[in-house]
Amino acid sequence: MEKSELLPGTLDMLILKAVSLNPLHGYGVLLRIRQISGEALEIPQGSLYPALYRLEHQGLIAAEWGQSENNRRAKYYTLTAAGRRRLREETAGWNRLVSAISAALNTTSEEV
Amino acid sequence: MLRRLRSLLRVLKSRSEFENGMTEELHSHIEHYAQDLIRFGLSREEAYRRARLDIGGLNSIKDDCREARGLQPFDELSRNLRYAGRWLRKTPAFTVTALLTLALCLGANLTIFAVIDAILVRPLPFPEASRLVTIFNTYPKAGVERDGSSITNYYERRGAIPAFSSLSIYAFGTAIVGAPGSTARDQITRISPDFFTTVGVGPAMGRGFTDAEMEEQTDRVVILADEYWRQHFHADPHVIGRTVWVDSIPRIVVGVLPRDFHFLSSKAQLYLPLSSSPEERLPVQRHSGGNVIQMIARLRPGATLAQAQSQMDAQNTSLERNDPQAKMIAAAGFRSPVISLHVDQVAAIRPILLLLQAGAFTLLLIGLVNLVNLLLVRASSRSKEIAVRRALGANATRILAEAFVETILLVFLGDLLSLAVASAGIRLVTALGADRLPFGSYITLDARLATIALTASIVLGVILALPIAWFNLRPHLAEALQTESRAGTAGRATLILHHSFVAAQIALGFVLLAGAGLLGLSLKRTMDVSPGFRPDHTIAGQISLVGNRYSSPSAGLVYADRLVDELRRQPGVSAIGLATNIPFSGNNGISAAVAEGHVLRPGESPRGSYAYGVSGDYFQAMGFSLRAGRFLTSEDSERNVRTCVVDEDFARYNWPNANPLGRRIFQGIEPGKSADGFTVVGVVGSIKQAGLTDDTAQGAVYYPYIYRPDFNIFVVLRGGVRPESLKAVLQHAVRQIDPDLAVNAIQSMNDRISASLLDRRAPALLSGIFSAIALLLITVGTYGVLSYAVAQRRREIAIRIALGARPERIQWQFFSLALRLLAFGIAVGLCGAWATGRAIEAVLFHVAAHSPAILAISTSMVAVIALAACLVPARRAARIPPLKALTDQ
Repeated sequence: MEKSELLPGTLDMLILKAVSLNPLHGYGVLLRIRQISGEALEIPQGSLYPALYRLEHQGLIAAEWGQSENNRRAKYYTLTAAGRRRLREETAGWNRLVSAISAALNTTSEEV
Repeated sequence: MLRRLRSLLRVLKSRSEFENGMTEELHSHIEHYAQDLIRFGLSREEAYRRARLDIGGLNSIKDDCREARGLQPFDELSRNLRYAGRWLRKTPAFTVTALLTLALCLGANLTIFAVIDAILVRPLPFPEASRLVTIFNTYPKAGVERDGSSITNYYERRGAIPAFSSLSIYAFGTAIVGAPGSTARDQITRISPDFFTTVGVGPAMGRGFTDAEMEEQTDRVVILADEYWRQHFHADPHVIGRTVWVDSIPRIVVGVLPRDFHFLSSKAQLYLPLSSSPEERLPVQRHSGGNVIQMIARLRPGATLAQAQSQMDAQNTSLERNDPQAKMIAAAGFRSPVISLHVDQVAAIRPILLLLQAGAFTLLLIGLVNLVNLLLVRASSRSKEIAVRRALGANATRILAEAFVETILLVFLGDLLSLAVASAGIRLVTALGADRLPFGSYITLDARLATIALTASIVLGVILALPIAWFNLRPHLAEALQTESRAGTAGRATLILHHSFVAAQIALGFVLLAGAGLLGLSLKRTMDVSPGFRPDHTIAGQISLVGNRYSSPSAGLVYADRLVDELRRQPGVSAIGLATNIPFSGNNGISAAVAEGHVLRPGESPRGSYAYGVSGDYFQAMGFSLRAGRFLTSEDSERNVRTCVVDEDFARYNWPNANPLGRRIFQGIEPGKSADGFTVVGVVGSIKQAGLTDDTAQGAVYYPYIYRPDFNIFVVLRGGVRPESLKAVLQHAVRQIDPDLAVNAIQSMNDRISASLLDRRAPALLSGIFSAIALLLITVGTYGVLSYAVAQRRREIAIRIALGARPERIQWQFFSLALRLLAFGIAVGLCGAWATGRAIEAVLFHVAAHSPAILAISTSMVAVIALAACLVPARRAARIPPLKALTDQ
């Protein structure tokens, strides 16, 4: 299926969503976003980690070292309370934006 | 915000842990990804290759991660610091020059600032000290600038001036303290009960004095200073009620003062009531201050000095209405100024301190100009490197940050060194006598000053970096890359900047030198003044005749005679004299005396003159010169005929065209009964009572001791032996006659004169040191810039030599550059020196503000220095071997 470019500013939101489902390590976040977007979104690998560090710095996600499925040490990210709040706000904002834009795009000349 | 700061702090605390974690996490990512790729069927090798490729440059990801955690500025800073440190190590000549320049210039400023801070800036150590004022009586037209206050003033003013919330008097003095047999002389202060309310600090234990204790019959109480309490009572908490003997009288301890309580510069151990008799409080005693008792007051909150002054003036006017001598007092220009206590204490020293700070600041300016020049030279030698880096995409902020970090680091290091210089400087000014200035004992280099210094160094670092930043960011890319020389040439603008900096340095140094010259000449002129007596081979000490045995003047005279007899028997002593005051004693009590036959002109007030009671061979001991008649001797105190000796100033003022011998003088402001008159039997040369620079012909009258007794007497000894032996002889003799009396302040007259020059010698010496440093800086600066100019034009010169130019011609080219800079610098410097002369005119003695000789000497010194500094580079230019210069690089 065709892959879409990530809209600017949406990476943080997707990461928050991914780790809200269950704790994930960095590579896991990548896989989870691909999975929940129906393979439609591809995260540039280079920008994933700076984004994770930024979100951790802002206190939206928390990190803890643990064991990965194949018995390697890995850093697992979980959503904090602040992150949960932020995700709610961003989701609501995004939905408003999408419906506004689609309403605008679906307008026909008779409706004006 | 707080959360981010905490996260940043956490990371900074375990930085290596953060770095390791980051590396491990990225590797773990690659590992997971590669395993997935292998599962998709790629070979192991191919899988890892793809995984690495897909994630991109690990270093740039790490950089981005660090930035995301807010770490980037710290990394940048530490990288720049390392870089700057390497640069300083790589160019030791530059680093040492710059650090020494900074250490000396900043150290000099810090030293002077420490003095200014202690004396002028820091408030007096009392609550709301800005409200403390002092009031004194002045009679300028009678030649009495300052007469303190009288007991009468105190009782009349207390509670009567609404602008004051409290008003008090005090008198400094000394006393023999201790039970008979184990006495010592200590400093004391006598105070009125409201003294502690006025200053705002009271006894830590016990109480202050009461009004009842101001009566002479009931004043046998004492308050101890903390130091005295600890030393003599071992900090006994039950000391209240115990006894301390003061001047052979037992007094009851009623209070102990807090630790560190000092009033102004006094080191008083005991505080006594300033008690008085009802007669001393009568209106007729109103103008009998004599500068012994001083008055202080505390302004009511909201009251101003001007209000206090007008209330004071109003009271004086209304009181003088009933004064029988009102006319005379008004003619003397009587007033009672109200002045801030702090301002009054430091008034004499303030202009000199500000002058020295200006000098130190000029030195700092020279140093900074020098440094900027050196930094610019350095920057231009790096311009190619910077141009290449910018061409390769290094961003401007990074290059700017480098310049700032470098100069701030340099200034900061220099500033650390300057702390050492300043602490040595403070030892020097203390050795020069700064600790004897008012509040001089507070001069220290404390944490507060060090903080100010370090903060200032950062600001300075930024200021110094600005021209370098400007230089580095000029759009000179192509130019720098195209130039033939390795270092690149400086543009025309930079060259002009270099040259004007050298000229500015010369100008500032010239100003400093001229100022120091004026101060030095003024010191020399002062030292050339004859004191009017022969100070060599003479010592003087002070004795207080206290206790019951010396309650009458005649008893004092008996003691004096015995002392003279005892001393006369000692070997090596050629003359002994006693006097109630001596020149350079610091006491300049002036009292009125009327000369028979002198008619007051309208508006002229009776003139104050110095008055002395003398006994023994005072005139011979002090080395006076006799102009007419004879000296007084001990016998004059025993005769019924009243005699006196006057000085030339007194004689000239009162009897300008007549022989003074045989004429009579009356103490006070009116001629009295003829039996009270003192017949002039001799005229002596005038002496400098108040100091060598005192040009006032005040006049002096010498009376036999019995007619002008004082319980404070000075013993003067002249002898052929060393001053130390004379001192020992004097001490021994005094103890021999009465073990309870002690001589203090024994000093040779030469030492007294030299101590009086403190406020002239120290500034002259310090400004001399500043000038010497300035000359050194000018040498370094001129040498540096000319060497650079030669190095810059090395190839051009080589070509010219190769084409046959004469070496002298090339040498002359650089000499003429130096000459032009010198001429310009001195021209500007002359204007500066003119302004400086005007500014310091007030502290000069018998030296014009613009002395051509000093300007000429300064010019030649600066010229010699600057031309000598240019000699080496100019000759180097002339000897450039053409072939080598052209094939170099």
